[in-house]
Amino acid sequence: MSARTVELFVNGRRVQAPVEGAEFLAEFLRERLGLAGTKVGCGIGACGLCTVWMDGQVVSSCLVPAVVAAGRHVWTVEGLTDLAEGRVTDAPPGLPSPQLVQAVQRAFVQCEGLQCGICTPGQVWAVCALLSEEPRPSEERVREFLAGNLCRCTGYQGILRAVRQASEEWAPSEDP
Amino acid sequence: MKTPEYVTPTTLREALELLSGAGGGEAVVWAGGTGLGPLLRRGLASPAVLLGLEKVGELGGVQPADGGLRLGATVRLRDLQRSPVVAARVPALADAAGRVGNVRVRSLATLGGHLCHADPAQDLPPVLVALGARVCLVSLRGTRVLPLEEFFVGPLQTVLSPEELLTEVWVPGESASRNTVYARFAPRSPEDYPTVGVAVSVRLDPDGVCQEARVAVGGAGPTVLRITAAEQALVGGVLAGQRIRDAAREVEAAVDPWDDSRGSAEYKRAMARVWTERVLQKLADEV
Amino acid sequence: MRTVGRADGWAKVTGRAAYAGDVRLPGMLYAALVRSPHPHARLLRVVKDAAWSVPGVCAVLTGEDVPYGTYGRRVRDMPVLAREVVRFAGERVAAVAAHSLQAAREAARRVEVHYEPLPAVLDPEEALRPDAPRVHEAAWRYPGAVVGPDDPPNLQSRRVWQYGEDVDAVLSRCPYVFDETYTIPAAHQGYLEPHACVAWWKPDGSVEVWASNKSPHRLRAQLAACLGVPADRVRVMPVYVGGDFGGKGSPMDVPVCVALSQATGRPVKLVVDYEEDLTAANPRHSAVVRVRLGVDGEGRMQALDVRAVVDGGAYAAFKPVEHVNLNGFAEAGNTYRIRAVRIESLIAYTNTVPRGHMRSPGSLEANFAVESTVDVAARALRLDPLEFRLRNVLRTGDRGTLGEPWMEVRGEEVARAALAALREGEGAGEESTADGGRWARGVGFAFYCRAAHGGETEVELRPQPDGSVVVRVPFPDQGGGQHTVVRNVVQRELALPAEAVWVQQADTEELGTDSGVGGSRVSLTASAAAAQACAQLRERLRQEGLEGWELRAALAELARRRPGESVRAQVKVDEELWMNSFCVQAARVRVDRDTGEVRVDELVTALDVAGVLNPPSHRAQVEGGVVMGLGSALCEEVVMEDGRVVSGNLHEYRLPSVSTLPRLRVVLVPGGRGWGPYGVKPVGEMTNVAVAAAVANAVADAVGVRVRRLPISAEAVYRAMQEAGR
Repeated sequence: MSARTVELFVNGRRVQAPVEGAEFLAEFLRERLGLAGTKVGCGIGACGLCTVWMDGQVVSSCLVPAVVAAGRHVWTVEGLTDLAEGRVTDAPPGLPSPQLVQAVQRAFVQCEGLQCGICTPGQVWAVCALLSEEPRPSEERVREFLAGNLCRCTGYQGILRAVRQASEEWAPSEDP
Repeated sequence: MKTPEYVTPTTLREALELLSGAGGGEAVVWAGGTGLGPLLRRGLASPAVLLGLEKVGELGGVQPADGGLRLGATVRLRDLQRSPVVAARVPALADAAGRVGNVRVRSLATLGGHLCHADPAQDLPPVLVALGARVCLVSLRGTRVLPLEEFFVGPLQTVLSPEELLTEVWVPGESASRNTVYARFAPRSPEDYPTVGVAVSVRLDPDGVCQEARVAVGGAGPTVLRITAAEQALVGGVLAGQRIRDAAREVEAAVDPWDDSRGSAEYKRAMARVWTERVLQKLADEV
Repeated sequence: MRTVGRADGWAKVTGRAAYAGDVRLPGMLYAALVRSPHPHARLLRVVKDAAWSVPGVCAVLTGEDVPYGTYGRRVRDMPVLAREVVRFAGERVAAVAAHSLQAAREAARRVEVHYEPLPAVLDPEEALRPDAPRVHEAAWRYPGAVVGPDDPPNLQSRRVWQYGEDVDAVLSRCPYVFDETYTIPAAHQGYLEPHACVAWWKPDGSVEVWASNKSPHRLRAQLAACLGVPADRVRVMPVYVGGDFGGKGSPMDVPVCVALSQATGRPVKLVVDYEEDLTAANPRHSAVVRVRLGVDGEGRMQALDVRAVVDGGAYAAFKPVEHVNLNGFAEAGNTYRIRAVRIESLIAYTNTVPRGHMRSPGSLEANFAVESTVDVAARALRLDPLEFRLRNVLRTGDRGTLGEPWMEVRGEEVARAALAALREGEGAGEESTADGGRWARGVGFAFYCRAAHGGETEVELRPQPDGSVVVRVPFPDQGGGQHTVVRNVVQRELALPAEAVWVQQADTEELGTDSGVGGSRVSLTASAAAAQACAQLRERLRQEGLEGWELRAALAELARRRPGESVRAQVKVDEELWMNSFCVQAARVRVDRDTGEVRVDELVTALDVAGVLNPPSHRAQVEGGVVMGLGSALCEEVVMEDGRVVSGNLHEYRLPSVSTLPRLRVVLVPGGRGWGPYGVKPVGEMTNVAVAAAVANAVADAVGVRVRRLPISAEAVYRAMQEAGR
């Protein structure tokens, strides 16, 4: 099988690896780069497990062939955690702020925003992206933005509580 | 098995040359890939070349034009959803764009890709047909401009020839002066494809008399259907009572749905009627 | 405001928690499967040449190449790869291992399989007829089979539960008999992690396995039986499980993965596509349930006869219980005083995807049928449905419907709490009444009662030199929060801060006993074992003369004096505890009169509870169950056409999303008598069961029509309204 070498930027680092056939970004991250924090669920962009940040937006990495990702800037949950834990020195503009990531991760743990955890990296990315764009979203807005990030365990209640807590911590309301 | 090459021309001419075979001939357009991706993943398509259009400047952008809009083929649905000029001129289109799939899909999917995918249950075709949109198809041999309803041939089929690109969509200025409402009926889940989607665009005079109407229904036939009999039933009178019911009956008679997980053909036909009535009532109430 | 949160929380939010599919080993190969497109066919021949021509391919196996036996959780009737015949569309026919996932998938696509289609039997009722095509030539010969040569040829299991007077006799004396039939389709458990495993057959003949499986010790035994090796050659390694809900308790694809590893001498990873999981794993049984309920002139239930004909699919391998049936059927009518009860569950083999357990197996099927019938009866008798239920509800001191000597029954209290909460919510969420009469509103109830069961497990405590304790447990946390429960118990027993207690899953070599996560038993067994281990640890500290010390200093000292020393406690809890939990589910719905669309505005779930070890996780179990129940009620169905699953992706198989949630209100009714040192009751399978019946009853209340088939789609309601002329 003919392989091609693909070069892109993952979590701020330039990476290069061979890809074969219909290899998608999700599998490329997991199997070629060993970044297994990005999970793979439905394979059709419907579940949100493979959510990553690519060139400024959250996308489903199961829908992006690795060859299409060439040259792009991709951030996974590992990079998000590096950001939160102060290991990223020159974060490009547009990424969520480290304090926001910390607030979101903490809120998911404290509010039972997770159970089995397989959807959690994608949920955390989605919430960071939402709160970056809109620090105090309405409940309706949260539901619309997170509608494509499925969770079978929590019934979403813990996730919604986590979003509220993180939002409140990140962008406190004016009210006393 | 081939590992596709991803090529990203920077001009329309270059893209068309690649498509017409000068660059190998096995190129498939990659216009967001939310429809094509799953086919590649399952081995149902294995092109040698994926032709990415995102660097072709001529294909991007949303511009006001003649009171209407010129929408580039590579505009992402999420950008369409959030575009102030779209929201100002044809809010129904921005709203419909925001209902496709989910935020991650809308961040990848493009307007051109959406239309070329030609799934009969998609959201934007009914809205755009009701708005009277035209599509511009370009190949090395020339350009043709078609009303959108003539672009679709059948499920996943369009008139686009292999060496042609859909480059832009024109929403005419007069549509901005009409009222347009789109309703998608997706009772299982808002993220689902609609069982039926009904878009109606009307111009009413100050007395509420319908001067002009365009009616389009998605999910209820091999392609989006423009239903002229319903339009005729509307023009010349006030949107109310029997006139609304008559137009909805015309829709029910004209649609040609099939059974699937979103409903039986019979149910979809009835729902096309119910939702046409509701959309018309909403338009009447807005006056 | 600082809560510590879940023990596994940090690993999961940072992406560090490792699941089976995340394992990468040096030299590891990737596997892909070839599956039958036919529901029933003779396997004529398999041509491998084209598959071998793909660069990087290391093995192409068919059934003939696999030297193992069949496998199963109880009945061992499932082949690792089909031999001679395929019995369902989706059955594994061949397997490929290659250096990359893409090469494996490409090679799998190129395996050429020649079939001769055979007549298929796709309906369980037909399958039980004497002249039906046989799914298996001699099903009674499989190890663990519970049928015999004289049974109908396609019978998987028949079970009858009976208590009290003769049901037919009592029914014949009842002035009112309601005879109703309900249909429950197959459903996928909906775990979002598709089945995944890594297997490594070592040169010495031992096997290491990482698998998305909730019961590692049982998996080890099932694998050993299939491979024909002693259990101690198989080592199941710890990984998190990405959702289970009953579907991750079997070996599934692990044996074929082991076979590929044995054939290549390399570790092999096999992760199925979600589409494969949706079409060819072990979805919930589909069932047709007939209910006959006899009621006397005073509105008292006298007799209940339930007969379920259940589609078990092509293999019985995925049912773990003794009688290879669905024990949830035994709960039919168990919330009421009924003098004569008979319940029969017949499970048939058919040429469809094999069925397995899903959260409270059998319970939803029984509950939807019986609680809908109860509502039908109440409305026919012009009684308020809740009042009718309360008139008949089982009370403390009553024997259960099958003679159970329950220690208490709190149905009435729980129902009153549900009603009070529902009334509080009245009017809320009904923002618009000026909807032109589009929406009809209704309220519905359903009762549910479930017995607690025991099991066994083991917990080990390892004091650390820094004064913390590492707690080793033999079970994974598949999301239920059991690692957090154990942490909380150890924290409480030893008066340690949460950060001084580290819970880890051990592999199957390190700890010896565990019945796995399932049947909602792990909080009972694990809390008892953890408490006992803590007592033993305190005793060790006393023996060492450390009882006067500050505890963390004492633990550090013990770790220093006796490096590596640990204490272990094993607990075995009786299967029958005669303890139950009661749940009353209420639903407030709107029905679109013109389209049949059902919108659930509010779900009130009242639940009988005793001691709660970790309130946030407990609440999350309740909420997650309710939303899963809502999926069963409204949108989830594994759709089959000609024996093939056609709802093969998450666009077609719709799971509830955050955008459609009703208001959830959870009402815990404390004061129940629990079990063990913390007086706990199970919760995991309590709240997903009764939602479907409550919603169906609310729809009936709103528009006067009865939907007798799940899910309650808009079209189903629309048709029912059309038929009723509404």
